[in-house]
Amino acid sequence: MNGIRTLLAAAVAAAATAGVIAADAPLTAQQQHGRKVFDIKCLPCHGPGMWGTNALARRMPLDKAELEKRTDLNAVMVKTLMRVGIGSMPPIRKTEVDDADADAIAAYLTRNSPR
Amino acid sequence: MTASAPLPPGVSAADFNQALKEFAGVVGHDWVLTSEEDRHTYLDAFAPGDADKHACSAALAPTTAEEVQALVKIANRHRIPLWPVSTGRNLAYGGSAPVLRGSVVLDLKRMNRVLEVNNELGYALVEPGVNFFDLFEALQAQGGKLWISTPAPGWGSVIGNALEHGVGYTPYGVNANSICGMEVVLANGDVVRTGMGGVNPGGQEWQVFKYGYGPVWDLMFTQSNFGVVTKMGIWLLPEPEAVANFAISLPDMGDLPVMVDTLRPLRLDDTINAPYTITNPYRSIMDPMSAQGKTRSTIYKGPGCMPLDFVEQTLRSRGEGMWNVGFNLFDSDKGLDLREAKIRAAFDKVPGAKVKTMRWHRGEPLAGWMRVSPVLFPLAGVDWYGGPGGHINYAPVVAPIGSRIAEVYDMVYRRYVEFGFDCYCGFLNIGGRAIVVNPCTFFNREDAEMTRRARELARVLYKDGAAKGFGDYRAHISFMDDVADMYGYNDHAARRLGDKVKDALDPNGILAPGKQGLWGSAQRVHKGKPA
Repeated sequence: MNGIRTLLAAAVAAAATAGVIAADAPLTAQQQHGRKVFDIKCLPCHGPGMWGTNALARRMPLDKAELEKRTDLNAVMVKTLMRVGIGSMPPIRKTEVDDADADAIAAYLTRNSPR
Repeated sequence: MTASAPLPPGVSAADFNQALKEFAGVVGHDWVLTSEEDRHTYLDAFAPGDADKHACSAALAPTTAEEVQALVKIANRHRIPLWPVSTGRNLAYGGSAPVLRGSVVLDLKRMNRVLEVNNELGYALVEPGVNFFDLFEALQAQGGKLWISTPAPGWGSVIGNALEHGVGYTPYGVNANSICGMEVVLANGDVVRTGMGGVNPGGQEWQVFKYGYGPVWDLMFTQSNFGVVTKMGIWLLPEPEAVANFAISLPDMGDLPVMVDTLRPLRLDDTINAPYTITNPYRSIMDPMSAQGKTRSTIYKGPGCMPLDFVEQTLRSRGEGMWNVGFNLFDSDKGLDLREAKIRAAFDKVPGAKVKTMRWHRGEPLAGWMRVSPVLFPLAGVDWYGGPGGHINYAPVVAPIGSRIAEVYDMVYRRYVEFGFDCYCGFLNIGGRAIVVNPCTFFNREDAEMTRRARELARVLYKDGAAKGFGDYRAHISFMDDVADMYGYNDHAARRLGDKVKDALDPNGILAPGKQGLWGSAQRVHKGKPA
């Protein structure tokens, strides 16, 4: 969703100048789809400086608080937390993000994590 | 269905299982959601108490109005209450959870099409699952010539927000006022199109004239349980030439009445042409902190409501006054000049008033302060006490007379001190005239004692307000009867009228029993249970 990306562009630019964002390997088709769904469904809270990122930053370093930068995520964990909710994040229903899209989001967020 | 799932009240397990089979025949097995994991996702995420008291027995997720028609017919045969939700994100009012435990949630989120955007006539036709982000994107894709009036968090449904009398911050601030034409599935499975949608075959008039011929039904389906809205037209604001932001600050604790009385004539004659929000000193401190992810403990660690002298000191050290108001104006640049001059002249007469303004011009990127692009960060306030949090809104409608607003605020503030919560309070101008005095009680959901206090504070405020002659405009699913009780004129004639309409349209009471305190004859026996 380019609109939301654009809205957050200034914040992202600020974050990029503050620290180095790791260069990503090319995304698989599933990861690309995952990024697209993440942008629509997750970015408004998990973008730089957003509610979810800020909430995580109270508990961990900033590079871990931004989910897209994580290198230690596990796909099962990502999917489970989406469905169960964590902290003040409510559970995400299947009608909002179906299982295939949830798998794609997990694939995208775990792209830099060990398998 | 797992062993721990509740059953719809008065329905046997055998009947319920039979109904689930029939529901699956309509929407497919994948979209009859009965597992514990799935039912968990329908609990109220911000529940002010035990979320299980509002647990559903299952959820159904249709994709068309025809499927909704088939589902309500089955529900009628088996006397199964359905709780329709559009996106289920009315957080702090119950989310996607039903009033009556064991109801089946009718989850309309998959009906998520923006059916039409009409730049020429200034409207969109949407389905219930479309949220403000979706509509914003659809409008941007067509050149951004029309603007939404998004509520503070943009997660919710465009239809749901309008039906619940939600507000945004443009001249089209009250979204219910922008409804023009609906498609509604009634409890008996009939489908009706309101207004010009009734003309057969229809032309281009459904979304341009609200009144049709005969009685106007649209608003009857708002804050009610008389039908399931499956399509809705909504008028949208044509992109203006310019937008001006105003941030006006008054210095002293006693300045609330003069703030209200100075704003009133400016809003009444439309000089201020969009809703304003007054923030009390607590909110003026808490909002910017929450937006940055900071919680209460970073500035204050004591129990109870933060003392007023501490609050005053904090604001003064930031160069801010005790009462602040923010609003945006929408016009041409020249029009904004005239409006600004009038507003400045009015506040020049108020000692200590500071007026700050900003402007946006067509062609520049949309700025956050314009509040026309959806966001979610206002939800961050729920973590004020550290979280995981929730909040309860108290929302009495009050005439914008300074002394009357101050009287309600004083009542609210005393109770917040008594119950030991920071008195976060906004004053939301709704429509041209009213103010909703809107304190929010933030609480940590895992702190049972704090949650109980928050719940008791809400109940006390409903009674205090009713005793002074006020009524709330909206309520959480746990408090819908409490607020209905505030409207007691002539032995609750308004509720009795609602019940008569309910009985006529939905004799088995299958649609959203308990919604806004409307139970109907068939389900009234369940009122107040399990409390």
